[in-house]
Amino acid sequence: MLNCDDMAERLYPYLDRELSPEEMAAVKRHLQDCPPCRHWFVFEENILRYIGECGRKVRAPEELAARIRELRQS
Amino acid sequence: MAKDGVAPGNAGQLSEEAIGYLDALYRMALRLTGNTHDAEDLVQETYLRAFRSLHQFQPGTNLRAWLFRILMNAFINEYRRQARRPTNTSLDELDEFSLYHQMRANNSHQVSGQPEQEVVTRLTEERVLAALDELPIEFRQVVQLADIEGFTYREIAEVLGIPIGTVMSRLHRGRRRLQRLLAPSVCHSPSLCQGRSSLC
Ligand SMILES: [Zn+2]
Repeated sequence: MLNCDDMAERLYPYLDRELSPEEMAAVKRHLQDCPPCRHWFVFEENILRYIGECGRKVRAPEELAARIRELRQS
Repeated sequence: MAKDGVAPGNAGQLSEEAIGYLDALYRMALRLTGNTHDAEDLVQETYLRAFRSLHQFQPGTNLRAWLFRILMNAFINEYRRQARRPTNTSLDELDEFSLYHQMRANNSHQVSGQPEQEVVTRLTEERVLAALDELPIEFRQVVQLADIEGFTYREIAEVLGIPIGTVMSRLHRGRRRLQRLLAPSVCHSPSLCQGRSSLC
């Protein structure tokens, strides 16, 4: 059984789905039973998602795309 | 025809697929170099190298990671000073900062619903990108690769040529530092801090 003190080091590997299946299940169980940890994990997950969305709004300029296609022809 | 490499017929398809990663490579280049001019040069150099060595690419392996590795190598090559600029990345209290717990501590009776909604509405895209750029480069790289591009730990380890354990610790510390950098913008809300935060 995991307790709250075990959760901090598992936070990111859990959200990144990088724990073993057993560990993923153990964390999930704890989150189901523990609202404070659950709220925290949901918070972190949403922040990470938002940062990702912001970062992915950056797009390459069209003239760079054209230059790369030219590069490919030669 | 090389036994392991790419058949000439497939090279065209592969280079088309490689061009599909242009936005992702450009984003990475922009975060690394800090300006659009150098970012464009770096991306162009990356594709130049990639197209030239496409025959060495092993079909069935990860094209995206391969391209990012080429980009990192090109960056280290051409921006050696920037890439190696010594940064203060010794462990400190920044590495354990938690925005969630800070917000809770600041108004324990009020954080009930979804504090992340408050955060998200308070953070502009510009602010997030500026905070990313403030991270020491070792952290910026892994955060960009994981949180913006969605690479796995193993892929990041491959792209950067570092052990997975190092990826994990840099990612943890980079994300914590990012939250610390974003905290002043978030906590500038009376409803979240009530003027009692040390961050505001
Ligand atoms: Zn708990």
